[in-house]
Amino acid sequence: MYRVMIIDDEESARKLMRAAIDYKSLDMEVVGEAASGIEAINIIDDIRPDIAFVDISMPFMDGIEFTETATKRYPNLIIIIMTAIDKFEYARKCVSLPVFDYMLKPMVRAEVTKVLEKVKDKLDSEGNRASDFEENEEELIPEETDSTELIKKYVKENITDSTLNLAFVAQNFGFSASYLSRKFKQDTGKNFAKYLNDLRMKKAIKYAELGYKMYQTAAKVGIPDPNYFGRCFKKYVGMSYSDYVIEKCQVDK
Amino acid sequence: MNRPGSLSRINKDKESLSLSLKKLIYGIVFLVIASFVISMYIVTERERRDYGIRDTDNVLKTLSSNVSSDIEKYKSLSRLIMIESRVVDFLRASEPSVDIGMINDARYGIMDILNATEGVDSVMIFREDMIMVATNRFTYKYDYELMNSDSWRKDINDGNGGAVVSLNSNGVAAKSDGRPVVTIGREINDIDTQKRTGLLMMNISTSVFERMLLRLGYNDICIMGVDGTYLAGNYEYSEYFGPDFINEKIEYKDIILGGEEALLAGCTVKDLPIVILRVSPYGKEGIPFRILFVLLFLLVVLTVLAIFVGVFIRKNITDPIFGLSAAMERNKKSGVLKKIEVQVPYSEFGMLEDDYNSMIDHVNELFDKLVEKEKTLQKAEMRVLQEQIKPHFLYNSIETIGFMALDSGAESVHDALETLGSFYRNFLSKGGREIPLEREVQIVKDYLSLQKLRYGDILEDEYDIDEDTLSFIVPKLILQPLVENCIYHGIRMKGEKGTIKVSAKLIDGELHLTIKDTGVGMDADKIESILSAKGATNDQNTESFGLWGTIERIRFYTGREDVVRIRSEIGEYTEIEILIPNTL
Repeated sequence: MYRVMIIDDEESARKLMRAAIDYKSLDMEVVGEAASGIEAINIIDDIRPDIAFVDISMPFMDGIEFTETATKRYPNLIIIIMTAIDKFEYARKCVSLPVFDYMLKPMVRAEVTKVLEKVKDKLDSEGNRASDFEENEEELIPEETDSTELIKKYVKENITDSTLNLAFVAQNFGFSASYLSRKFKQDTGKNFAKYLNDLRMKKAIKYAELGYKMYQTAAKVGIPDPNYFGRCFKKYVGMSYSDYVIEKCQVDK
Repeated sequence: MNRPGSLSRINKDKESLSLSLKKLIYGIVFLVIASFVISMYIVTERERRDYGIRDTDNVLKTLSSNVSSDIEKYKSLSRLIMIESRVVDFLRASEPSVDIGMINDARYGIMDILNATEGVDSVMIFREDMIMVATNRFTYKYDYELMNSDSWRKDINDGNGGAVVSLNSNGVAAKSDGRPVVTIGREINDIDTQKRTGLLMMNISTSVFERMLLRLGYNDICIMGVDGTYLAGNYEYSEYFGPDFINEKIEYKDIILGGEEALLAGCTVKDLPIVILRVSPYGKEGIPFRILFVLLFLLVVLTVLAIFVGVFIRKNITDPIFGLSAAMERNKKSGVLKKIEVQVPYSEFGMLEDDYNSMIDHVNELFDKLVEKEKTLQKAEMRVLQEQIKPHFLYNSIETIGFMALDSGAESVHDALETLGSFYRNFLSKGGREIPLEREVQIVKDYLSLQKLRYGDILEDEYDIDEDTLSFIVPKLILQPLVENCIYHGIRMKGEKGTIKVSAKLIDGELHLTIKDTGVGMDADKIESILSAKGATNDQNTESFGLWGTIERIRFYTGREDVVRIRSEIGEYTEIEILIPNTL
């Protein structure tokens, strides 16, 4: 099964994409959605998609930027651009990027299916899938035990970088993403994404206690998409950012 | 200057330079010739008359003096006769002693003297008692009654011994044959006693004058007596005699002789009762050819000058103006405002040309500005329009609603929305006025399936698109308006179910698109009006504007007029065939 990720700021568009296409018959499944490029960067390590449908016009990080960032870290990722805006400038940019196809909305099932069939042919012939990469890296033996500490330090220093994620750090330190992931979990007891997220949330709580607005805090902790930040915060703290701020203020008084 | 095009453009109210120039030159030439002819006529006439007068003057004076001297000769002859001894004896003798012998002696005495001379017709000598002796006496008839009176000799007596010239023997004797004679009469006084003894009359024959004229070679002279008697010369001229000529001063008159103008002149010979008339036709003599030649030369020079000026002005002024004008006209007609390039002979025209060219520059500049402005305006308007359309809003909405339909199990709604979305995406897609036929057909398919949703069962669509035509490049939106036309002017008008069939074939590298509907059809007039390109230019005929406009676009795209054919049968079908050559 090939893994499909849908990145679009419109929920209905994501749901339509998920519901309208018969993925099963293509040996595919939708494994995740993201409402923005920021969210996608943050969760892509966990989702590990083979194929990503990317909308161009999204806030904070648009489809183009996302594609630039993601294709650097995951060279095998198949990216299919979906856009409602028939703008030559977009098409031109996409041509210079490793984009598999460029499709115009509103989507037509037959067209999308056709493109996915081509993708399947390509992936089938190459025979490697993102979901595989965990298994074939056993032979890489780590030498420096303090590399985890270095990585932790690096993450702390670059926490405001919104493109920070496992693949990025792994590239930076010369590891493969899967190796780093396992080693990091082994050394710290947490997977990298959780570690990064916890770090950001701890920081966010501090800002919240100082009375920062949510969007300001979001930008300061490296998740400039306040919608995604809000979800992360709620998941971490158990209540919404605004509620938390109100509560904190009352306690202080 | 045969330039009807340019000439016709000249303001009718204003005369053209070339025309007025022509008139001016013709006028000058005409005036010169006219004045030449008139002055030539005047000069000629004057000179001829003056010449005639001078000539006549000479003749008349010569003749007068000749006549006078002849008469003088005869006068002295008469004196000789008077003092001849036998004549004196005859005169002195007392009346009874005069006998025939004495008379004959006297006659012989006269004859002796006359022998030496010619022209004397007769000499008559009267004594106081009227006894007479005469030579040639029998050729005369005598008026004895008059002779016995005193009246006939009064003028002779008044001469007191001087010679008095008169005509025809003062009437007392006339030639029996009626020929006129000139008579010299004188009183005879005795030399010794100074007492009047008688009277002498010498009749001179007119042949004297004839001979004189002959000798002088004058044949245009008529010599007459003051009483109008013809004496000698040209008898025809005697009719012109009048009292005006009884004057020593020469009198001139213009007469017509034998249809020609002639100068009549006459005068009385001094102290003689003789009038000389002369008629001289105006001949070529006296025409001042030298002056005429000078005048003629001037005329030629003037005419040549006028023509030269005309040609000069035409060649150097009006022709360049026409040249400039024609160049400007060509410029106007060509529709492109270019600078003109005309060879002009003078800097003044160059100035005109430069001015025109700089004006063209200026106009072009203004045009460019205007066009630029218009373009900017259009762009702005277009942007506003596009902003208003915001198709991505439509597309996103369609997707959202599509999901809602899918979510609530309305598959057919989702299908319809998908078709609508696909149609608009292709229909509104920017960039590229030319698309592959495949996309064009997709637009039609989407369009027709949406129309089928609207109108249900009234139409069916069929496609027969050859595989090799799919990538053929066609101008965008050529099929959809035709198909739309099939529905609204074909099938729906018929009220029964119809079929629209779209076929595409590649024949000899050219794409043949056929759209056939089983609608009401069109009559030949309608087909003609649609194909004639003028069909929908008037706004009333907006009914088939889509069809007409599409045909025009195809013609424009292919650059050919014959690329659209319409076949139809009323009540059966309409078939539009479009032929698109490969543009690659």
